[in-house]
Amino acid sequence: MTLPKNARNHLAALGIVGAVAAIAMLCLFDPATSGLFPPCPLRYLTGWYCPGCGSLRAMHQLLQGHLRAAWALNPLTILLLPFLAYGTASYALFKIRGQHLPRLFLPAAWIRALCAVIILFGIARNIPLHPFDLLAPGGVLHP
Amino acid sequence: MFCTQCGANNADTATICVQCGRNLQAAPPALPVQPGQAAPTTLVDVPNYLVFAILATVLCCLPAGIPAIVYAAQVNGKLQAGDIAGAQAASRNAKMWCWISLALGLVFTLVMVVGTIRRIGGR
Repeated sequence: MTLPKNARNHLAALGIVGAVAAIAMLCLFDPATSGLFPPCPLRYLTGWYCPGCGSLRAMHQLLQGHLRAAWALNPLTILLLPFLAYGTASYALFKIRGQHLPRLFLPAAWIRALCAVIILFGIARNIPLHPFDLLAPGGVLHP
Repeated sequence: MFCTQCGANNADTATICVQCGRNLQAAPPALPVQPGQAAPTTLVDVPNYLVFAILATVLCCLPAGIPAIVYAAQVNGKLQAGDIAGAQAASRNAKMWCWISLALGLVFTLVMVVGTIRRIGGR
């Protein structure tokens, strides 16, 4: 985006304020009980778990320092989090300072493998048989 | 030809600039595009939106992010093959699916919020 520097700074400031507010809200209120956060569209409409089901609750548990509970709700999210955090930080830095962090170039085969893992994870956590039920949100905690 | 250093107009056969004395036969350092050097810069220039695609799919529960991930793979695959135009086309598709995910997510959230307000109002 080639916005004037001033507008870019304002947008960046707005983005940072929004992100901090969202993280604070997610830290204070548990999506599992508060009803403040929208449910998963796929789960709501079809009753199936999607690959991301439990990720918001997992983020809440992580912000509260409960790594085990976060892992149980959505292990895929926890595994992808370092990559997502790096990518988001790089994007934010680009918007603010106009420069990226050193870019990670993932070979196309890795991205296709990741896509397959996400889809298979989404299918597997819906299978109501042991051990697949461990992959459902909270499955490890309630075997 | 124009001098690469001072911009003075010289005869095409000139070997030295009439104004600043620069050697006009030497190739200007920045202009020639070497295939070996082109790749790293184009990797930076063609975004694949993979982070947003994963955020939409995994963090926001929006399966519309899956096509965005597939196009992100295409972007990097075409860059690896040296197909810059193809990578840019795939990049546009990846971006489009990220926006579709966001729009679907916002519409769903809005519907849920309206539903909640109506339910509370109905009590």
